[in-house]
Amino acid sequence: MSTAAERAAQLDLVARLKSAYPELPDAPYPDMLDHDRITAYLKPVHDVGGEPDAPMKYVNKQYELWEHMTYVICEVLGWRGIWLSEERRRIGNVDVGRAEYLGLPYYGRWLLAVARVLVEKHHIGLTELSERMAEVKERYAGGLDGKTLEAAPKSEGDGSQVKRNKHAEEADGKGDPQCYAGQAGNAKFKVGDPVVVRELPVIFYTRTPEYVRGAKGEIEAVAYESPAAEDETWDRPAKPEWFYVVRFNMADLFDGYTGTADDVISTEIPEHWLESAK
Amino acid sequence: MTDHDHDHDHERTVAPMVDEITDFEVLEIALRELCIEKGIFTAEEHRLMTEFAEQIGPTPAAHLVAKAWLDPEFKKLALAEPMTASKEVGVDWLHPTGWGTPSDFTAFQILADTPTVHNVIVCALCSCYPRPILGNSPEWYRTPNYRRRLVRWPRQVLAEFGLYLPDEITVHVQDSNQKHRFMVMPLQPEGTEDWTEEQLVEIITRDCLIGVALPKAGVTTNVITDTRPAIHPGAAG
Repeated sequence: MSTAAERAAQLDLVARLKSAYPELPDAPYPDMLDHDRITAYLKPVHDVGGEPDAPMKYVNKQYELWEHMTYVICEVLGWRGIWLSEERRRIGNVDVGRAEYLGLPYYGRWLLAVARVLVEKHHIGLTELSERMAEVKERYAGGLDGKTLEAAPKSEGDGSQVKRNKHAEEADGKGDPQCYAGQAGNAKFKVGDPVVVRELPVIFYTRTPEYVRGAKGEIEAVAYESPAAEDETWDRPAKPEWFYVVRFNMADLFDGYTGTADDVISTEIPEHWLESAK
Repeated sequence: MTDHDHDHDHERTVAPMVDEITDFEVLEIALRELCIEKGIFTAEEHRLMTEFAEQIGPTPAAHLVAKAWLDPEFKKLALAEPMTASKEVGVDWLHPTGWGTPSDFTAFQILADTPTVHNVIVCALCSCYPRPILGNSPEWYRTPNYRRRLVRWPRQVLAEFGLYLPDEITVHVQDSNQKHRFMVMPLQPEGTEDWTEEQLVEIITRDCLIGVALPKAGVTTNVITDTRPAIHPGAAG
C-alpha cells in the first residue's frame, strides 16, 4: 500500500525527468518544430558518436549477478531462435527511448529488451509476467536475509510448439554473416573508390551513424554480405547487400578537428547507404 | 576503490537498510523462470551458455599477439585469417552454438599498429567488442561518454588514458558498429626482444588490445584499475 503523499511524490519525481528541448512545450504544435529538431527527436538514441561531452572518470565494474544472467538470457534467446542479435540491439538500445536509454544501467536495457521481445512475440503474457514478478518479490519480502538469488521454475516445458526463427540452422557450421554469402550479387564498389554516405531519412533504426551522413570517404575494405541492420531487425525475410569498411579523414569529417590532418576513422556501412563521389 | 575506501557510500541512490532485491533482479528471475517453464529454452541450455560466458577473457588475445610478435608467419596468418589464427590460442569463433555467440557474429579482424599508425577501437552505437577472444568489455568502453568522444576527439581521450601520441603518428579510430569485431595488435616494445611468449603475455593487457594503451616492459596492469563493486555479484566479470 502506498500513501497519497507517496503517490504524489513519485509523480513529482517523474515530472522532473526531461528528454525534450526546454524551449518547447510538451506536445508542441507542428509549426513550432523545424526539420532539424524533428530529426533530433527521431534520431535513434544509440547513435551518440560525436556528441559533445566532458571528460569523466572511467572505471571498471564488477557485475551484479542479474547483469551476468541477463547477458546469458539474451545469448540463449539468440541461440534458440527467439530473436536475432539485430532485434536485440534495436529493442534494447533504441526502442527504449531517450529517457530510459540514458537513464538506466547498460544491462537494465538488455533486460527490458528480453521482456519486450517475449511479450511482443506472444511467448509471455504481460499480466503473467507482472504476476510472476510480484511472486518473486514476495519470495524475498524480508530482503535476501541469507537466501540466494535464484530462479525456481515450477516445471520445464518441452518447447516443441515455441515459434523460432530459422537462423540457427541456416548459420550452423558457417557463422553470421557467412550464412548470407553469395546472396548479394556483385559488389558495386571496390577498395579505393571514393564514396559519399547518402542522407536517407531515418526513422526507427539504422546503424549508419549520423556523424558520417553526407560525408565523403573511401572504401577501405569490401567486408561481407548481410541484410542492412534496419532490414534485418524486424524478424522478416530481408535481402542481403554488400557491406564496406569506409575510411574518413577526421579533419574533413569534423569541423574544427583538433588532431592532425592525417587522422582517420573507419566504420562499416551497407551498400544502399553509399553512392559514388562525383 | 583506492581513492574511495571510506565506509559510507554517498554515490549510491539506493542504500537499503535490509538487503532488498532490486527491480532488475526481480525481473530477471521472473523472465528466466517463465522461459524455462514454457520451453523457450531449457535450464541446461542456460547453464551451458553461463559456463561459456564465465570462461571468456583477454588471455587468448594476449597469446595471439605474443605469438605474432615471435613468429612472422603466424603474424601473417593472424592478419589474413584471424579466426583461423584464433584457433591456435584455443578460440573457435563458432562456439558455443555452432554458429558463434549470437551477439558477436563471426567477422573478426585484427588491426596491426605500424611505426606511423596507431589503432583504437570503439562501438559508438552500443558496445560491439570481440568477446570470444577478449572477454566482456570493460564498463568504461560501454559508456556514452567514451562512445561520444572517441570518434571525434581521439587524441584527448587517449591522453586521459595516459597515452600521448606525437603528431607523426596517425590515429586510426575503428568504429565497429555492424558485424565486424576488431582488436588491435600493438607493436612489440623495445627491451623485450629476447622475451618468451609467457613473459610477453604479461604486458599485453586488455587496454593494449583496445588501443587505449601501449605495451611496455614492466607494465602488467590495465590503465583503469578502479572497480565499482557489485551489491550482489555474479560469478563472472
